[in-house]
Amino acid sequence: MSTMVNKYDALKGSEDSGEEDSSNREPKDMDKPLPPVEVKPGDHRLQFAYAIWFSRRAPGKQATTQNYDQNLKLIGRFASVELFWGYYSRLVRPADLNSHSDIHIFKDGIKPMWEDSANKNGGKWIVRLRKGLASRCWENVILAMLGEQFMVGDEICGAVISVRFQEDIISVWNRTAQDNTTTSRIRDTLKRVLNLPPNTVMEYKTHNDSLNLTYPCLPLLPRYTGLPRPPLRYDSHH
Amino acid sequence: MSASPVARQAVAQAQPQTIPPRRVTINSPSELPNDYSSTPGGTLFSTTPGGTRIIYERNFLMQLRNSPLARTPPKNLPVIPGVTAKDTETSHRENGTIVEEPEKPENADDSQFEMDL
Repeated sequence: MSTMVNKYDALKGSEDSGEEDSSNREPKDMDKPLPPVEVKPGDHRLQFAYAIWFSRRAPGKQATTQNYDQNLKLIGRFASVELFWGYYSRLVRPADLNSHSDIHIFKDGIKPMWEDSANKNGGKWIVRLRKGLASRCWENVILAMLGEQFMVGDEICGAVISVRFQEDIISVWNRTAQDNTTTSRIRDTLKRVLNLPPNTVMEYKTHNDSLNLTYPCLPLLPRYTGLPRPPLRYDSHH
Repeated sequence: MSASPVARQAVAQAQPQTIPPRRVTINSPSELPNDYSSTPGGTLFSTTPGGTRIIYERNFLMQLRNSPLARTPPKNLPVIPGVTAKDTETSHRENGTIVEEPEKPENADDSQFEMDL
């Protein structure tokens, strides 16, 4: 118990040193739980605590699990609406991020990696967006996630905005890829909060597929808008 | 997609659980919210299978955006050039309010109303 208190104090003093730790250690080391996220009196508590991560892949560099892991930077953790806005307002919007950047907002304790135990049987819905839409769409998706609008219990793991050269990709990850009730409810909520036309084709990928394939075997699916689909893949770090 | 928030809530609660759904009586169409992300009656909290869940509608979250607590910079925010900034001006023009985004392409809007034509 006392060690927990000490760890907590250390984190309060310098949260970014904890983040440096995680980028230098082996993946196993990072499974150790961080202390609970504080909610200030008067703040509006969220159903879950979350962590914001940032990653950027050096263009042209073949990504591996290891360097993906090392590129993940913890920006902060929050469990209240107010602290979420505190972080969010100091993050650049997706439209202003460099290509190959990803922002991940995941439930506290779940790393935004397929290898995490919460993700390994899971999958993700993928929405491909024409340039110019990402900032607004991303905000709507995360507000729906934080506000528990998906109505799928504990199934949501997190959401990612991936800024790429010609398009931006929003993904929502859930725990159980085989749970059709859950995945279709997530899809419908995404369509609703993104205000997508009813006939928008969305792609669901299990993380297993992502691990095994660099390019999908799926037929090319139309995006929200008309630009040709670039060869860049969000998951090419594997 | 077109289910009302109340109906969605009912679907979410269609499992054999003893927690009753919250019901909001609507007497006229004008009492309906303008968008699907709002709940009639301004629900902030709701009961769901497995216990009470803290549910926030988008509008409510947006209202809290400019509260003093939300404007306080978080402690220990790592500064990553091009990603985070201590002051909100550099990261978000107009304090993070997304207003100057390019408009949605017209065809995206139009396609939703194809059925009406």
